[in-house]
Amino acid sequence: MKWIIFIFFLPICVAGQPNCNVFLYNKDTAQYNACKSVESVPYYQYTRNYQEKFDKALEICPYFAFAYSAKSTAYLKSGDFLTWKYLIDKAVQFDSIYLDYRAWCRYQFFRDYKGAIADIELLERRKKTKEIGYSAGGEYHLLVAKAMCYSALNQKNKAIEILEDLFSDSTYQAGLFDYYQLAVSYFQIKDYDKAWKYCLEQSKVNNLAENKYYMARISKIKGNTQEYLSLKEESILLYKKEKYMFDPYTEHFNKVYLDTIEKL
Amino acid sequence: MFKVVLIMLQKFATHVSSFKFNYLLALIPLMGYCQTEKQNSKYLKSVGDIAFDSLMDRRDFFLCNEKDIMQYHNNSRGLEYRGEKLAIIESFEKKYVPIPDSSQNGLIRVRFVVNCKGQTDRFRIIAMDEDYQTKKFDERITQQILDICKSLDGWLPKKKEDKEFDYYQYLIFKIQSGQITEILP
Repeated sequence: MKWIIFIFFLPICVAGQPNCNVFLYNKDTAQYNACKSVESVPYYQYTRNYQEKFDKALEICPYFAFAYSAKSTAYLKSGDFLTWKYLIDKAVQFDSIYLDYRAWCRYQFFRDYKGAIADIELLERRKKTKEIGYSAGGEYHLLVAKAMCYSALNQKNKAIEILEDLFSDSTYQAGLFDYYQLAVSYFQIKDYDKAWKYCLEQSKVNNLAENKYYMARISKIKGNTQEYLSLKEESILLYKKEKYMFDPYTEHFNKVYLDTIEKL
Repeated sequence: MFKVVLIMLQKFATHVSSFKFNYLLALIPLMGYCQTEKQNSKYLKSVGDIAFDSLMDRRDFFLCNEKDIMQYHNNSRGLEYRGEKLAIIESFEKKYVPIPDSSQNGLIRVRFVVNCKGQTDRFRIIAMDEDYQTKKFDERITQQILDICKSLDGWLPKKKEDKEFDYYQYLIFKIQSGQITEILP
């Protein structure tokens, strides 16, 4: 399951290298030359060679935003928030196309909820549409990310409002964890019927151990002992089959651990 | 070292023409230049590399492959700890004594090496305030976090293609008014 998700989103993860010809079309030779110099960099993003290659691109064109973004990735993945923020701010300064990436990373890697909300709301104001982009791995629409941030800041009703509004759009295709996140928000405000409804929706999209865990909790609260035990068992089984929320770098919002399920 | 190389080259030269030998001699300064260039680079071999420091690190800390310490995400299995991250959270809940202080807000990252046997060392700290600026937290906070990190003994040796490897791991602590509110990644 983990691999399926990982491989499924791989093309989105690796998409990032700009089309150099766009710079040429705009008669920006410096940026075109910088872009061409890093068209195929054979080094791992953590390595000295990789960093130096992009430094050279910046010597050719000091405002080549992609170079700053590319350089920032290793710092992000190693948890160096200081260097990452300096570099990604530079990327955003020279090209606002990196604003969605910065927003997501602030949330995903550093749980900077307020910072991520500020970036996402800036995107909304600029784009004046719901089409503001997705997480770096493609699992979450950025409005879902915004809702998760509000939920983390204990503004559950605000989170619910954002998600309900997004899901009411008939053109919106639910992501792998969307209904689960809404279900958990409803659970936290003790609206168990709505929580149950969205857990069921989640089961149809992507049946997760976490989802069954919350259904088991609702059944337990409502005194449906047989149902609770059966759902708990199903949740544990799913977990052991690795059908749980997984990310190779960080943990998902509202992830539930096996020990927590077993102790329910 | 240079003399040894020169002697080896002279011996080798007996088997090659004088033109080829001179060509090889001409390469020596270039080899030196390449090495100097790397030494002068502002970058480490890999972003975030932690070199041994005799003042901080254990001399007996064993590494399977000092030259190739990987990253915790390189085997695509994320953080691997006995009892999952929940066990780490519970350790901190049990051991960390909050220092109530409204000025103590931001993130503290502790980065370290987990060797191929699951043992840890080479702990290093960086910290920031809520605006991503360097911050010096109250020593009682950072020291406790560091000590508890050092006491964590559930790290699982990571494997890639059935081979265990040494890797860099980090833990980030979100601090609000001296309390740990979240642990990442």
